[in-house]
Amino acid sequence: MQTTPATPDTDLQADNLRRAAIDKSVKGPVLFLFTNGAFWLMLSTLLGVLAAIKLVEPEFLGNCPYLTYGRLQPAHINALVYGWGVQAALGVMLWIMARRSGQELKGGKSLLITAGVFWNITITFGIVSVIMGKSTSIEWLEMPKFVWPVLLACFLCYAWPIARMFGRAFRPEGFMVSTWYILGACFWFPWIFITANVALHCLPGLGAIGAGIDAWYIHALILLFFVPVGVGAAYYFIPKVTGQPIASAQLASAGFWSLAILGGWTGMQKYMGGPLPAWMSSVGACAGVLLLIPVGLVGLNHHLTTLGKHSSVAASPTLRFIFFGALFYPVSGLVLALNSAFWTGANLQFTQSWYAFQVVSVYGFFSMCVFGAIYYIVPRLSGCEWLSVRLIRNHFWFSVYGIGTIIIMSLVAGWQQGVDLNDPEHWDQTFMNHVINSRPYVVSRAVAWALISFSNCMFLLHLLLMVAGLGRRSSAPTLLEHDHDDQALPHEAHA
Amino acid sequence: MSAPAHPDSTDLDRLHSAVKREKEDLAPESQPAPLWAMFLLMLVAIIAGGQLGPMTGGWSFNVSNPFATAGGGDPRPGGAGAGDALDPFALAMKKGASGYAVCGGCHQGNGGGLPGQFPPLAKSEFVLGGTERLIRIVQHGLTGPITVNGQGFNTPGGMMPFGAAMSSQDLANVLTFVRNSWGNEGSMITKEMVQKVRDEEKRASQWTAADLAPFAEKNVPGDIPAGPGATAAAAPAAK
Repeated sequence: MQTTPATPDTDLQADNLRRAAIDKSVKGPVLFLFTNGAFWLMLSTLLGVLAAIKLVEPEFLGNCPYLTYGRLQPAHINALVYGWGVQAALGVMLWIMARRSGQELKGGKSLLITAGVFWNITITFGIVSVIMGKSTSIEWLEMPKFVWPVLLACFLCYAWPIARMFGRAFRPEGFMVSTWYILGACFWFPWIFITANVALHCLPGLGAIGAGIDAWYIHALILLFFVPVGVGAAYYFIPKVTGQPIASAQLASAGFWSLAILGGWTGMQKYMGGPLPAWMSSVGACAGVLLLIPVGLVGLNHHLTTLGKHSSVAASPTLRFIFFGALFYPVSGLVLALNSAFWTGANLQFTQSWYAFQVVSVYGFFSMCVFGAIYYIVPRLSGCEWLSVRLIRNHFWFSVYGIGTIIIMSLVAGWQQGVDLNDPEHWDQTFMNHVINSRPYVVSRAVAWALISFSNCMFLLHLLLMVAGLGRRSSAPTLLEHDHDDQALPHEAHA
Repeated sequence: MSAPAHPDSTDLDRLHSAVKREKEDLAPESQPAPLWAMFLLMLVAIIAGGQLGPMTGGWSFNVSNPFATAGGGDPRPGGAGAGDALDPFALAMKKGASGYAVCGGCHQGNGGGLPGQFPPLAKSEFVLGGTERLIRIVQHGLTGPITVNGQGFNTPGGMMPFGAAMSSQDLANVLTFVRNSWGNEGSMITKEMVQKVRDEEKRASQWTAADLAPFAEKNVPGDIPAGPGATAAAAPAAK
């Protein structure tokens, strides 16, 4: 067994050294992305609390125009998506691809750091512009026009070495299972991002179809960027930590290709019955429901893999986050299907349930998987172990409860809003009455974001300590159980 | 961003401990997938297909109503664009049929009424006679004794007025339906005709049969859209 240092094995030793060298080569860019991402995440969740409070109590913090809901909400989502999401995803992609391909990052490290710095500066400008009232009013693309070419260039700086690592890799059987997704995300993000930005910023006079393109962009970015990175991380870390091989290579293959084929077809169903050609929203609705197939295949595969291995979920921080992230994947698929199908979508259209989909997929699924990845990756890069079991536990539970609350409350609120709006009995009600009726749900959303902010304080603090090299000096991993006996069961180490 | 060098950073064993305790990458297995899961996914595909079939607007770039077909309007009663698909008479009959639900409570679904209680509408001279009298009865209500098809009726309270509760369009649709069902054949009654009567007569009390006698053979003037509703107009006059 390779974890036994008492029996020196030259091959194994060489293997370990090679892995350590790979980790060392990507250390700078990956830690840079994680740390900055964590700062944006902190900001995003705080803005989420403020935006939710503003929706209930518009007079909160006075009448300052910079702090109105219309500016806070886009700032909150943009910080979440571009500040945290894409940035953390790039870090995870870079590390996993380096490890999977067995390739060190050769050269260009300063370019990666520069691209990272530019990414952060650009987003800072973009979000400040949104707060100053210069928003483009295009959902998820609220940051001003000048932002997107810079972001694209920075992304490509990362995508290129990742794709090149893949190109040079020796690909044994089963190599593709997680690698597919990482490689796909490298190519899909530029495609989606260029298409949406060119269409929305450069083509004049789009009219109603512009709204449809924007809805497509949001769904495609979630399904073809955030979802692949999350699934790729889950496919990599679940066997890595449990020591149990992925149950079915065939299911993995089918799950990937069905996602690749269906992911780009959905979105326009947001405007079902609206002023778009009916077939566009119809195709979107069909794909939105069909996406339950890739979601189901991946969920089934993870279920078969982890069956009987749930004890390590309790112990390993990585597995705990990944496992719950992977649980949220089917949930996000279900929410998407509910929003998409005409049958239920007629009521959920234009309600809070669309926010539920964005949050469950970007936070509940993607971010939880990335947290798991970070808990695995960072000790290998910083050379010390996570400091505190309690910080990790709190991060986990406050996140789970917060996300769960937001999803359930937004879905219920969405259903109630939609049914009320469609009910002829309510047609003589003013719109404000509907807004007031949904207030309790928004209050719970504010509370949930506050819980998540609290959990992120701990995550950020913990990560900063680790990056500063102030973690635990030990050769034993930080596990969430058996913490009373630090040295126990080194062979059973799950992290 | 990088970790500062520490006094013990030469301790390679500890520094590499995370790497060393790692489990190796494993090739995936080929476990069979359970059959029930495949059936579940088929069910998903069927539901998804349901989003496509009738909702695509005939794959036309010009149709944004998901319920419409490329060839015509919304097939649902009262749906948007329905008027394009149906001629005015057919539309009035279709909408009138659903509006008749209100009348059917007394006059019955077959228009036969109830002997001794509610007068019939089928073959009734009040229905097939002058449109002016018919409109006035429904608009303002009717009370007192009345003879229909040779049978006498004196319903307590009479017939309630519907003018305040229904739009002139709805009223016109129902009357057109009544005049052209159960073997009845009569000219179409349009929205404009009902409106004309409404504007002329503002009474608050119900009519009696005697009050209405002057209007018995009077038709409200007005254009009838071309179609079966207009050609049927000749039929009662010929009788």
